[in-house]
Amino acid sequence: MPAETHSTHDPVTADEVFAMVRSNLAEILEIDDQQITLDSKFAEDLDADSLALIELVEALEEELGERTVGFSVDDEDLGDLATVRDAVDYVVLRLGGAAA
Amino acid sequence: MRIAVDAMGGDRAPGEIVAGALAAVEQLGVEVLLFGREDVVRAELPDGKAPDGVELVACSEVIEMHDEPGVSVRTRKDASVVRAAESVRDGRADALVGAGNTGATMASALLRFGRIRGAARPAIAVPIPVPFATPHLLVDGGATTDARPEWLVQFAFMARTFAEVRGVSEPTVGLLSNGEEAGKGDELRKQVFAQLEPQPWFVGNVEGRDLMTGRPDVIVTDGFTGNVALKTIEGALRAAAGLVFGILDSTPEARAAGEVVTPMLLQGVTDYLDPDTVGGAALLGVDGVCVISHGSSSARAMVNAIGLAVECVKGGVVDRLKQAVAQREASDAR
Repeated sequence: MPAETHSTHDPVTADEVFAMVRSNLAEILEIDDQQITLDSKFAEDLDADSLALIELVEALEEELGERTVGFSVDDEDLGDLATVRDAVDYVVLRLGGAAA
Repeated sequence: MRIAVDAMGGDRAPGEIVAGALAAVEQLGVEVLLFGREDVVRAELPDGKAPDGVELVACSEVIEMHDEPGVSVRTRKDASVVRAAESVRDGRADALVGAGNTGATMASALLRFGRIRGAARPAIAVPIPVPFATPHLLVDGGATTDARPEWLVQFAFMARTFAEVRGVSEPTVGLLSNGEEAGKGDELRKQVFAQLEPQPWFVGNVEGRDLMTGRPDVIVTDGFTGNVALKTIEGALRAAAGLVFGILDSTPEARAAGEVVTPMLLQGVTDYLDPDTVGGAALLGVDGVCVISHGSSSARAMVNAIGLAVECVKGGVVDRLKQAVAQREASDAR
């Protein structure tokens, strides 16, 4: 179950989450953000290893934490995130919104 | 200068780690922050007190050798290695030295220091012993196992800069492959070769047998192959030493000869092949100085690892690596 969160701003949309994931991932992987789509697979398409994913999670927690008190990613769920869409849907679900 | 030491990291921690840190304060004139469980670290301090130049920073958690690095660093916020990395990030210390879980030390540095902008992935620069000569560098020793060609090219630029900081003039770089000819290697090696070929310091492919010859100054490879190569050297040296000492103990005549040559051999091994002599390996590509020492580090290894950290800080290695990465990006753009 998603952790209880408390929004201090407007709800975050799936498009906004995707934009966050894309820009952070592009910076972490040092690639053009246009290479990253919702269907990109972290390992196969983007060569993102487990540490890169943790960098992404920490960046999202920091960014979203400023807007939504208590937002965090459960480490046990990291293994289930194979694509960018998985990550966006997961974040949106934890924020209580609609999937991408 | 102040060095943050993970006092809980290593097979012989905290005893040897603390002893090495105290010796480094005496021998190198540095200050040391010791991160670890207060009771066990304090028990290793003289009269249970931190001497001048040493500060004990109490931490409630430890990341063990078998723990999964990334997740452990995220979940154990009060782990000694994590707190030590944070002290560097926050400016309380100038460098991190750890002999514990290599992945966790690397993850702590990566996640707390951040990466150098433009350095896609980190690499471990491991000094390889060369008999009767200065150690040369193998990069990457295991940080990035699945590497892209451009990352290895970046490793070459960073490692060359690191070699310069360590006093090597005009360092040469070779690419570890399965043959010296330009066309040798898998797809990764062929692409890296093509990208490095224009550089005047690139000497081409080298083979595994070149690892301990000191030719060239830097050998670049991916973290998977690099780690296998390191462990192969370690095993081969151990087997060769066992063979030599076995022969010297095989007959009365050999034992008589052994009494003469064994002390010389042991001294030679200590001087050139003992990993404690080089102390540690530098993590390149992160925005701070991090030296990773081997798991069975002795006090002597810690002194040398701290010495390497001091050398890196004094040599401005992080700023120089930033310049090297920027220079590489600029040469790509041309």
